[in-house]
Amino acid sequence: MCVGLSAKVVSVKDQTALIEAGGAQRAISAGVLDDLEPGDYVMVHAGVAIAKITETDDEEAADVMGELL
Amino acid sequence: MNEQMIKARDIITGYKGRPLRIMEVCGTHTHEIFRLGIRKLVPENVEIISGPGCPVCVTAVGFIDEAVWLALEKGCTVCTFGDLIKVPGTEMSLAGARAKGAKVRPVYSPLDAVELARQNPGEQVVFLAVGFETTTPSACLAAKQARDEGLKNFSLLTANKTMPNAYNALVGSADAFIYPGHVNAITGNSACIKLCEEKGVSGVVAGFTASELVTALAVCIRLLEKGEPFFRNCYPRVVKDEGNKAAIKLMNEVMQPCDSEWRGLGLIPMSGMELRSEYAGFDSRKKYNMPKITGRPNPACRCGDVLQGKCKPSDCKVFGKVCTPLHPVGACMVSDEGACSAYYQYAGQ
Amino acid sequence: MTENTVTLAHGAGGKQTSELIEKVFKAHFANPEFTADDAAVLPKAEGRLGFTTDGFIVSPWKFNGGNIGKLSVCGTVNDLSCMGAKPLYMTCAFVIEEGFPLDALEEIASAMEKTAKEVGVKIVAGDTKVAGKGQCDGVFITTTGMGVIREGADTSGKYAKPGDAVIVTGDVGRHGCTILIARDTYGIESDVDSDCAPLWATAESVFDAADNDVHVIRDATRGGVGTVLYEIAEQSDVGIALDQTKIPVDERVKGVCGMLGLEPLYLACEGRFVIFAPADKAEKIVEALKKGKYSQNAAIIGRVTAENKGRVILETEIGTQTILPQPKGELLPRIC
Repeated sequence: MCVGLSAKVVSVKDQTALIEAGGAQRAISAGVLDDLEPGDYVMVHAGVAIAKITETDDEEAADVMGELL
Repeated sequence: MNEQMIKARDIITGYKGRPLRIMEVCGTHTHEIFRLGIRKLVPENVEIISGPGCPVCVTAVGFIDEAVWLALEKGCTVCTFGDLIKVPGTEMSLAGARAKGAKVRPVYSPLDAVELARQNPGEQVVFLAVGFETTTPSACLAAKQARDEGLKNFSLLTANKTMPNAYNALVGSADAFIYPGHVNAITGNSACIKLCEEKGVSGVVAGFTASELVTALAVCIRLLEKGEPFFRNCYPRVVKDEGNKAAIKLMNEVMQPCDSEWRGLGLIPMSGMELRSEYAGFDSRKKYNMPKITGRPNPACRCGDVLQGKCKPSDCKVFGKVCTPLHPVGACMVSDEGACSAYYQYAGQ
Repeated sequence: MTENTVTLAHGAGGKQTSELIEKVFKAHFANPEFTADDAAVLPKAEGRLGFTTDGFIVSPWKFNGGNIGKLSVCGTVNDLSCMGAKPLYMTCAFVIEEGFPLDALEEIASAMEKTAKEVGVKIVAGDTKVAGKGQCDGVFITTTGMGVIREGADTSGKYAKPGDAVIVTGDVGRHGCTILIARDTYGIESDVDSDCAPLWATAESVFDAADNDVHVIRDATRGGVGTVLYEIAEQSDVGIALDQTKIPVDERVKGVCGMLGLEPLYLACEGRFVIFAPADKAEKIVEALKKGKYSQNAAIIGRVTAENKGRVILETEIGTQTILPQPKGELLPRIC
């Protein structure tokens, strides 16, 4: 399950973050991620930021594949 | 395709060892694997099985009946994730209830259902809380907001489920699991690490982009070749070993484990979540004194066997004939993530 | 209040009906053929005729990039244009909900006038009915159009042939996405605008560029480009192979679709053709389209195959082939 959306944080106020993806904006809950800042990338699911994203999937692939090659 | 992906793809396509069964336990993985044609990429000796990872598919028939009861008998406005609307209940789906005049609204987030309740004090709003650990925090946030504000017209019909006990029920179904990245983003990796260390169950956590899925599959195949039980986090940009501690704390504060019925797998002890007694006023079953409702699934439907990898969708007698995405009999045909729906739409690739 | 809104009296056929027609419709649709009689009388036409009708019930009636009036002219103009028929005459029938604001009706009529003028089609007859409050949603419009098919043009959904190139005249899914945002059901904000546009000039440029050698032109409306592709695959009994990476999708549409788990190929368009033409004409067609007002993002997205009859195959980003899922019923956001 769990369609996740990778989105950029535009602003944070109290426990609500405004996120953006492709120019589409939506207010979501930052209730379970307390140290969000504008410019962070987050994984959003069902209107809640569930995790910070720390690198791109290309960088990640390089890290993960590293041990195999 | 970049260089990394070509390397990963070559590992997959070049595999020549013993036959492997790899099970993904996430509906979005099922969906993406079909969308990307990954089953066509893997060699014949690698079988990819879709496990019980779609919350819509594992939702018991009785849950839909309960939601229909709330909508039609109690006149509640039922808010739900869109995928659940067409899932057949014993008598009818929520779409069927809507045609009879019930108020059924698809929402993006449980928090939107709270907002609807706030703005319409005259309406009784119910949110259908399905989903695994990824989704449960959003339902808990909704319950908490409603309680903090003293909302009198909002409640949750819960069928939240947790993965670890389902993994236990599935041990032996496959050589390795592809674990659901967004569940682990919340729970962390400890349950998967424990399965590996204590029961020798192998698996990788995977993300959802083409690159992430292909990479995770390559890692999985290469490590299975080596033969030692393994656990690898192939989605480290989102999944941390410790998970999301604030989300875990919130879930434990608002909900507690309970037994839960899974379509196809039956009752799995302590594999569900229900609202704690402090939140009883926000529990639809208690709030409306709901009678015990037991669903009766269509006996011809083999969703259960499909979910356990015991048969292919095409082995089911109603598949593709009576049961199609436009007229689903079982839940696996409803959600785009459902194994039957994906199998039907992609013509059994 | 009733001064500024449509009332049941406006639909009763008496003085107030005349006033409404006089003030709103005649003011905008004035042309020598616009009739006050029971039927418009038109000059004899030379050539084969294209003739079509379409109903419009969009909610909300106004959205970023257009309104139901513009839509109702574009829809019929585009259907005629697909067949190579130069739109000449149109009729329109309004069903208006009691209480609908008169200035909104004015805005709708004005958009119809503007769009019709751009194409050169004349609105020659109309009808107005008023439905009681709650019996319809705002305003429903039905338009009917007629045009003369240009010499040499012969298109049909049955004519796609293996080897044909598949062209779209612009990015897909914008109208559907815009309506979704305008309904504000999911709390998403985006400045995405509808692709709603009248495409006669676009069609003409395609026929000119290909010396009329065009097999299929289809207006991709509700159901989007994906639905059109399946229709043609079935009607022509061919397969269609798409290159996923070539399908133009606006970043804003990608953003909204990402949030809701929707497929842009199944979101409605209101200003896009899907064209099937011989491969050797394709480059010329796209070149001409790129110069057009409404088709700058035109692209060749695939080809017709003899195999996989009735199916649409996607070449994916990882180089595998997969089947485009069949469109199915109500479009619901996929969240789980």
